[in-house]
Amino acid sequence: MATQTLVEGRSTPVSRTAGSGGLRRLLTGYGFLAPSLIGVFVFLLAPVGIVIALAFAKWNLISPLEWVGTDNFSYLFGDRKFLNSIWVTILFTALAIPLTVILGLLLAVMLNRKLPGTSALRVLYVLPWVCAPLALGVVWKWIFAPTDGALNAILGVRIEWLSDLGLALPSVAVVHIWSKVGYVSLFFLAGLQQIPISVYEAAKLDGANAFQTLWRITMPLLRPTTFFVSVTSVISSFQIFDTVYAMTGGGPAGRTDVIASRIYSEGIESLRIGRGAAMAVILLVVLVLVTVGQQLYFRKRLTYDMS
Amino acid sequence: MTLTLQKSAPATRSDLRPIAANAITYLFLIAAAVLTLAPFLMSLMTSLKSPKQFATTPTLSLPSPVTFENYQSLFTGSINFLVPIVVTIQVVVVLVIGQLVGSVLAAYAFAMLDFPGRNALFWVYLSTMMVPPIVTAIPLFMMVSEVGLRDTFAGIVVPFMFASPYAIFLLRENFRSVPTQLLDAAKLDGAGPMRTLWSVVLPMNRPILATLLLITVVTQWNDFLWPKTITTSQTWQVMTVATTYLQSQYENNWTLVMAATTVAMLPLVLLFIIFQRQIVRSIGITGSR
Repeated sequence: MATQTLVEGRSTPVSRTAGSGGLRRLLTGYGFLAPSLIGVFVFLLAPVGIVIALAFAKWNLISPLEWVGTDNFSYLFGDRKFLNSIWVTILFTALAIPLTVILGLLLAVMLNRKLPGTSALRVLYVLPWVCAPLALGVVWKWIFAPTDGALNAILGVRIEWLSDLGLALPSVAVVHIWSKVGYVSLFFLAGLQQIPISVYEAAKLDGANAFQTLWRITMPLLRPTTFFVSVTSVISSFQIFDTVYAMTGGGPAGRTDVIASRIYSEGIESLRIGRGAAMAVILLVVLVLVTVGQQLYFRKRLTYDMS
Repeated sequence: MTLTLQKSAPATRSDLRPIAANAITYLFLIAAAVLTLAPFLMSLMTSLKSPKQFATTPTLSLPSPVTFENYQSLFTGSINFLVPIVVTIQVVVVLVIGQLVGSVLAAYAFAMLDFPGRNALFWVYLSTMMVPPIVTAIPLFMMVSEVGLRDTFAGIVVPFMFASPYAIFLLRENFRSVPTQLLDAAKLDGAGPMRTLWSVVLPMNRPILATLLLITVVTQWNDFLWPKTITTSQTWQVMTVATTYLQSQYENNWTLVMAATTVAMLPLVLLFIIFQRQIVRSIGITGSR
């Protein structure tokens, strides 16, 4: 859609003649753009340029800045903590995203049966998405608390969910899944509603059972939605910060130290700005590649109507 | 749908199968609803117990008697949770107004004005949507510190108050659907671009503006990374920052901490209940956050 509109924009019949009319158009256009130009150039693009520059520097805001070439990068690729944070982020994504997508799809399929009384639930499932991940993280920190937490009370056990080396990351992943499933299901629901009922009727006449219908008809027809949801979920899970900060602060022993936490503690808390910036640049490059790849796959932007 | 099923399936199983399917569906949906709500209800319940009650009764027992002791201690004495509420409201108001005004103006320029460099600039704006907040946190922290605005109100709001590329993209798409006849008519009436925007384009785009307003309020109210990065004192703590601060200060005083999370989430939960339809629709429009 974006490309199409752009072409239309180019072909507007308004002339591009120079002179006073052109000058006035120029001033009007940039006058309207003025505030956003500050926002985009000073507070988005300049920071990107600065972070790239700082990735090649050593600085702690106080002592004079020192240019160190690619030292930060060569340091990082031998740095256990950084490599650990990459591994943790990938593991977190692998734990959280497939389940989020599958459960979101299941929820949408169930909601799409439109049984009486279920339409209100669709909205209810989105509730966690509206709340601050930080506040939800604190709530879940209590739920997972070993002695007086809700989960151990329900299960009648005494498990150290968030300080156990093996359980901490899956516990954080559960919270991520819990907060995102309802949101993701809305996309699937929109995708499902675009599939014509006649397709299902034909399948039923052919004697397809519910599982066959889901696997052979619904899933293939939902592939664009599934792809879109998966990629955007992966992009956001590469950036997860608030939930981790609230629940574990990166611990125990770095087991939940995702890349964003690492950037934060290295670049901002410890003021090793160069190293923090270098990690941020690596993350940016990965995210740009993923996003551009997704755009190339789609070519056009998908829009969903959920009214 | 059930009709076709009954036609195709053998007589005896045909009556049972849809019932079983419906039962499974209800079971799944109700279980999901319970799981969604449980953390909210359990934390609310805990916040209504006194610390002593919480320590001496089973964790999941209902509060008896219900006490607002924790909420009282949140707002009286040394904690003073009112400050972060006021700061958050101020931050959200400034950011929402700034972003909406800046974005409306930019979207109008991109959608309806013709000037050199327009299309190239639009692509530049679009591309900045890929940049995550954690990447700009370090340079913004540096920039804001260098001009001496660290731990100030201006430090929190200035970097984000001018516009949001995402809002600009969304508004531009919608502004383009305003019929050209209306725009021509406005031009014939002698209306300049500002008049046209104010009295033709904006009134026609009320739904999308309302949606955008909601998304912006939700996003800014919940923001944590930047306010946490740029504030060091309690003076300028927003709600999310104050909540983690409280949690670290009163470790294991869960009744008090759950009162704080309830206060932090309540305004948005209410907003959600009131505007649920718009919020659900907004997710469709936004694509992804």
